Parts: sequence; C-alpha cells; structure tokens
Amino acid sequence: MSSQPQKPFLGFGLGLRTEHYQEILDQQPKEIDWLEIISENYMIEGGKPLYFLDKIRQDYPMVMHGVSMSIGSTDPLNFDYLKQLKALINRVEPKWFSDHLCWTGVDHKNMHDLLPLPYTDAAVNHIANRISQVQDFLGRQMLIENLSSYITYTADAMSEWEFLTAVSEKADCNILLDVNNIYVSSFNHHFDPLEYLQGVPADRVWQHHLAGHQNTGNLIIDTHDEPIIDPVWELYEKTAELLGSVSTMIERDGNIPPLVDVIAELNRAREIASPFYAAENHD
Amino acid sequence: MTDNSRHEQDSDLHELQTRFQDYITGKSEDFEKDIISTKDALAEHRLGAYYNAYRIRLIDCLATDFAVLHKELGEEGFELMILEYLKLYPSQHPSVRWVGQHMVEFLQHSERPDKSFLSELAAFEWTQGLCFDAADSKQIFMLEDMAQVPPESWPDLTFTFHPSLRWLDLYWNAAPYWAALENNEQQHPKKAHHELPTRWLMWRKGTNPNWRSLDVAEAWAIEAAFSGSNFAELCEGLLEWIGADSVAITAAGFLKQWITDEIIVSVQTAN
Ligand SMILES: [Fe+2]
Repeated sequence: MSSQPQKPFLGFGLGLRTEHYQEILDQQPKEIDWLEIISENYMIEGGKPLYFLDKIRQDYPMVMHGVSMSIGSTDPLNFDYLKQLKALINRVEPKWFSDHLCWTGVDHKNMHDLLPLPYTDAAVNHIANRISQVQDFLGRQMLIENLSSYITYTADAMSEWEFLTAVSEKADCNILLDVNNIYVSSFNHHFDPLEYLQGVPADRVWQHHLAGHQNTGNLIIDTHDEPIIDPVWELYEKTAELLGSVSTMIERDGNIPPLVDVIAELNRAREIASPFYAAENHD
Repeated sequence: MTDNSRHEQDSDLHELQTRFQDYITGKSEDFEKDIISTKDALAEHRLGAYYNAYRIRLIDCLATDFAVLHKELGEEGFELMILEYLKLYPSQHPSVRWVGQHMVEFLQHSERPDKSFLSELAAFEWTQGLCFDAADSKQIFMLEDMAQVPPESWPDLTFTFHPSLRWLDLYWNAAPYWAALENNEQQHPKKAHHELPTRWLMWRKGTNPNWRSLDVAEAWAIEAAFSGSNFAELCEGLLEWIGADSVAITAAGFLKQWITDEIIVSVQTAN
C-alpha cells in the first residue's frame, strides 16, 4: 500500500439514522449521493437494523464509520471486534471504513467516548503500528477521523494536525476530516483552523463530516444534535477551496430532525463546495 | 501483545490512559496534573466535559433500553441507580448495545425493597431487546406447509424454533404493568405478586418484539418441544393437565398457534 490510489469522490451524503429508514427506502431521495452507517449499530445478529441496511444498500453506495476500535488504546487490539467488522464489511461492501484518532477505554473497560491521545512521537508510533495491523487484518486502508477535544495534555509535543499527519503517513491510512471538529477544537484550544487545513496532506483527505454542536460559553461541546452553524459553513468553504473534491456528509446523531431538514443542509454543502470542485475538474 | 511485553513507551501511555479513565469513572483526580489549564477553562472544567459525557451518554442509552424502568423510577431515581450500576458493572463491551446486560442481576442483588418487581420489569425490557436483534431465520413454517405433512408423520414430528424465541417466568405482573406505562395509560395496574410464576413467551415477529402469556400446559409443551420432544411425546406429557380424549386436539391447537405466531421455522419428520 505504498502508492496512493486516486482519491474517489462520492459526492454529498448523509449518516443513515433509524428515524429515516422508511422514508429513504420508499422515496430514495436523489439529493443523497451516498450514506454512511455506524458500524456498531449493525454488528448484531439480525432483525430490523440489518433488514433496512440490506434494502437501503441496494439503492445507495455506503461507507462504514466505527466508534469502538479504540485504535489508540494500550489494551491489545480486540480481534473479536475486528472479525465482526470484517464480516460487516463483507456484507456491506463499503467504499471505505473509518474510525477515530482516539481511544475509548483501557484495562478492558469501555467509556464509550472518543478520548484524545497525547500528541507525542511515542503515541504516533503506537497508533500507526496498530492502524497497520488493522489494515493488514482487513486487507484495506482505513480512514482516521479527527476529534473534537476539550483538553490539552502537558505531554503534547506537536499540534493536532501534525499528529494526524504523522499518523496517517506512518500508517499509510487516509483521513476523515470533520470540519465541525476542527472548528470546535480550534475554539477550545485557541488555534487557527486555517493552519490546520493547510497542515494536513490533501491527497489523504477522503471524507468530510459536517455537524452541529453546543457552545457552553468557554468550551464548545460536540453534540451533533443541532443544525450546522454559520462559522462551520464558512470553514467548510475554505476547506473546499484548500483541499479540493472530498466526499462530504452531514453527521447528525441526536435530536434527529425530519429527513427534509438534513437534506437541506446537504444541499447547502453542495452549493458551497461545488463551484470549487467544478473549477478543479476543469483545470 | 501481553501486558508484560508492553513497550516502555506504551507503558507511559498506558499509565496516562489509566489516570484519565480513573478520572472519568470518579476513582481519582490525579489526571488533572496531566492537563493544561487555560484562563478561560481550568483543567477541572475541561475534564468535566468527559466526566459528564460518560454519565449522560450511558444514562441516555440505558433509559432507551429500559424505558419503562426509567418511567417507573423517575429521572432522578433512574440516574442514581445507573450511577450505582456503572460502578459495579462498568462496560467492557465495544458496543454500547450491551451496557445494560447485567441490569437484572444488579437489581436482584440490590438493597431495594422493590428489587424483585424491578428486576422482573428490567428482565422483560431487556428480553425484548434480545428478541429485537436476535438472528434472522431464512424461512418461517406456515400453516400451508403443515398441510403438506402426511397424517402418519405427525407423531414423530419435531420442531425447530425461531432464533429470537425466549421465555421468562415472572412472579409479578411486570408485563401488563410494562404495557400500561409504555402506552401512557391513565391507570396502571397495581403491582401484584403471585405464588406461581406465569410464563411469558417472547419472540420477534417480522421486525417487532412480540409476547404473550402461556397457561401451565402450553408452558410445559413449548419447553418440551424446544428441547426436542416429538408430537406424540407432547401429547403424552400433556395428559397431566388434559383429558385423554382431547389431548391430541389441544396439542394440535398449540402447534397451530405457534405456527400462526411465526415461531416455528421448520418441522422434521422421523426418517
Ligand atoms: Fe465526525
């Protein structure tokens, strides 16, 4: 996996949510180019979620997004989990799969949260080595997503984007760049989000998330339960200008609105990014 | 990689992660020293985001898995109970789906005066979840299929049941109580304990969990059929409750009901 394959562009997609199953299945909205599923929601034996997954998969390309790989943990990799993930990959045949640049628990406990890593060389080596093991086991490259974070470790020796870049290059993996998370972390840690965008390897950025959050005053908490705010849309415009055509989706996890509302956000993303993408294709 | 072979650099990271996790679970505040405070947000405040998110996320998740237990205990009572639960049963599974898997056990061993009712209510809700995403069956045995079985094969018939099938023996009226709260009915049935349990059959029909109570004869019959007894053996066993002249018709009635319930996936005739 030494040379980068051509970056695929899927267009504009949505995170598939239970509340929208029936509507998507019945109406197959044309505005949705592709769907992202949360892998763990389908790592079950049967029943309704898998029923809808198989049906909807016939109508849309999909990518898979996991929350439990705990790739940054110092616990051994969970191969039971990875086997289940492999089985789901075989079932869904996604364009790619992703998880987060984080750990979710240690000593065999699970906090079910995306916990940040210290930005150190040791952590780069640790996580890149594990990503390589996962990619070898699953026989494909993965995408790794930047978090929203609320803390800075005293141990940090580099910026978040340097860390993300180092990990992706060392592990030869790709990047799911969450534009909302860059905004949230830049607010919480007082960095310039443009520096972040300029600091990541554009050819490795294969996917974007756009989402909403809650501002508590001195900290922004990433909740994915609100509409996307204007400063994030502005940052997305900059992202499109700097990074070129990247498959983009709306990631709404809580307080799920009617499908038409999320599609409206999707259309806004399309409107913002398309001029840059079109210009790029004409070059 | 075993714990012993852990790389030295990993062991620093391991200690850091253990301190962070201990902070989240409320075991120790040592981790504050690993975090930079800023003018606008002290380490304590920043870490509070993780401390709170852990509790909120898992309380929300369990309030969905145990929606009626949540209603029964109220917001505050439920939250306090879950915080106790998480101390005893921290999640060890990658999927949040399984966080509540020890709830019945937890309630049974709690000090609560109403623990026997609450644990049955929890068992009823948890079992619905198990039915919801249990394995699928490629086929369901229908009444039309039964018509194809020659009469002389009936005595030897054995049955294979849907993978979602479960049953619970409940001493309390937890199931009707659950339904009243779930449907926001004005009047809840009074909590009632019986000397003998009622068997509740639970399964998934289509994509939805389904259940019904069984009388003592059917309760015995389903367990016997599930364990591999053939139709003749069912009839024989049912003689304990049913007269000899109507036992075959009763057993056939049970069978017809199970087929209508869509809990039989296939029948086997003796070779
Ligand atoms: Fe995201």
